[in-house]
Amino acid sequence: MKGHIFITFLFLLLISLSSCDSRSVKQISVEVPAGTVVPDGMVYIPAGEFIMGDAEEPGTQGGKLVKTVAYLIDLYEVTHEDYKKFRPEHSFHPKRASWPVALVPYADAESFCQAEGKRLPSETEWEKAARGTDGRKWPWKIYIDHPNNGFSGFMPEPVDKRQDWISPYGVYGMGHNVWEWTTDDYTPVGREGKFKILRGGLLQSHLTIKFSPVWFRNWMNPDGKLNFIGFRCAKDV
Amino acid sequence: MDPFKFDRRNFLEIFSLTTLSALVPKKIGWADDFRNDKNIPKQYVQNRDTPGFHIRSANPFLGVDMQNWGLAIGGMVKNPIGLAYEDLFGLKMHSQISRLKCVECWSAKAKWEGFRFEELLKQVQPDPSAKFVYIQSADSYYESFALEELLQPRVLFVLRMDGQPLSRDHGFPLRLIMPFKYGYKNIKYITSIKFLDSPKRNYWASNGPYSVDGTIQPGVDHPLDLDKKPLPINGGEVFHFFDERPGKKKGV
Repeated sequence: MKGHIFITFLFLLLISLSSCDSRSVKQISVEVPAGTVVPDGMVYIPAGEFIMGDAEEPGTQGGKLVKTVAYLIDLYEVTHEDYKKFRPEHSFHPKRASWPVALVPYADAESFCQAEGKRLPSETEWEKAARGTDGRKWPWKIYIDHPNNGFSGFMPEPVDKRQDWISPYGVYGMGHNVWEWTTDDYTPVGREGKFKILRGGLLQSHLTIKFSPVWFRNWMNPDGKLNFIGFRCAKDV
Repeated sequence: MDPFKFDRRNFLEIFSLTTLSALVPKKIGWADDFRNDKNIPKQYVQNRDTPGFHIRSANPFLGVDMQNWGLAIGGMVKNPIGLAYEDLFGLKMHSQISRLKCVECWSAKAKWEGFRFEELLKQVQPDPSAKFVYIQSADSYYESFALEELLQPRVLFVLRMDGQPLSRDHGFPLRLIMPFKYGYKNIKYITSIKFLDSPKRNYWASNGPYSVDGTIQPGVDHPLDLDKKPLPINGGEVFHFFDERPGKKKGV
C-alpha cells in the first residue's frame, strides 16, 4: 500500500453477540499507521472522540465527547512476575506469578513504567481503553450478575484469565481485578491534600456491581499500599 | 509450681517454640465456650451494640486475668522474650486518632496510645526469612499478618484508649490497631506473637466468610458518630469528610 502500510489488529472474538458465545466481546477493528511499532503486550488505541463519564453520574465527565490522540496501553495489568524484574526483592507465591501486583504506591508504579520506557495512563486514556467509543457502561457491554456472595476480601485472578470480560479494544482487567493508578490528581471539594484517581472494577470482590462501571472513579493518597490497587502502563505513539 | 502463673523468671524458663502456642489457651480462665450459646452470662465480654463504640467478641469470655497474663514473643527470632504488662510501658509510645471499621459496616473513632511493632523487632531480632506473624489472644482468637503489614505507619499495639487504659471490652491489656484493616484483624487480648516463614490462616477465615487479608474495601460506611449515616469510603483507612487526616509526618 502506497504511503502508509497498515497493519490490522483484529481482536475479533465474535462476529455478533447472537452467535457462538454470547459472552464474547465484539472488538473494534484498529488500523495501526505504518511506522508505528506496537510492543508486545500493548494495544494501540487510535486518536478520536469517545463518550466519557455518564450524564447521570455526578463527578464524571457527564457523557460528553472527549478527544484523545493515539496512544498505547498495556494489554494486561502489571503482574507480580513483571514487577519482580524491576524489584528483584519483590516476593510472591509462585502460584500467583500472573496475578496483578498490588500494594504498590503511586511513585513505585510510576518508576516501574518509566523503567519500561512507558508511563502511567491518564484517566481519560484509561476510560477510553476500557469502553471504546459506543458509550457502554461495562467493558464487556452487557450486564452480568455480581459473582460474589458476601466474602469480605478481594480475590485477584491471573491478569489474562477473563477473555470474556475484555474491553472493545481487547484490554483485560478493566472491570475486574485490581483498581489502577492513573496520573490524574484529585482534591475532594472542601478538603485539603492531593490524591490520585484510581480506575478499575473490582468485580470479583464482595462489592456491589456499582463499583464496576467504566466511568467509576475512586481516589487515594498516592502513598497508599493496598491489596486492591495495582496498575498498568501506557506509552505515547 | 503452676506453670501458667505468670512470673517473668518462670516465664522465660518455660518459654520455647512449643510452649509459646501451648501457653496461651491454658493460662486463662477459659472455662466455658459460649460461641454457639445464646445465653451468655452477662458478665462475659460479648457482642454489645453500645452507643459510640460497639463491642464485638468472637469468643465470649470473662476477660484477662492479669495474674496470669504475659506477652510471649518467639518463633523464628534470635531472642525470644516474655514481657509483663509493666514492661510494655517502657516502650516508646505513640498516639493517633483513627477509626475501627467493622466488616459489618459501622465504624467508630477513638484516640489510641501504644507502641509500634518495630519496638519488639529490636528486642527479638527475627530471622530474615520470618516474613509472617501469627498473633494469639486470651480468648482463643488468632490472627495472621505479613510482617510488612505490621510495620506500616499507623499500626499500633495499643495499651490505652481515649486517655484511659484499655477497657475489658476493648481488649485489655493489649490489642492491635491497624486502621486499614477491618475490625476483625484488630485482635484484642494479645498473649503471644510468633514469627513464621509461611502464612497461617486467621480465626474468621476459618470460621466465616472473611478474608485472611481483611483490607477495608471501597464501599459504604455507617459511622456511629454520625448516626450511622451511610457515607462512601475509598478503601483502606477510613477518613470521612469530618475526620482529620494525619499529617505527612508518619505516625502523627
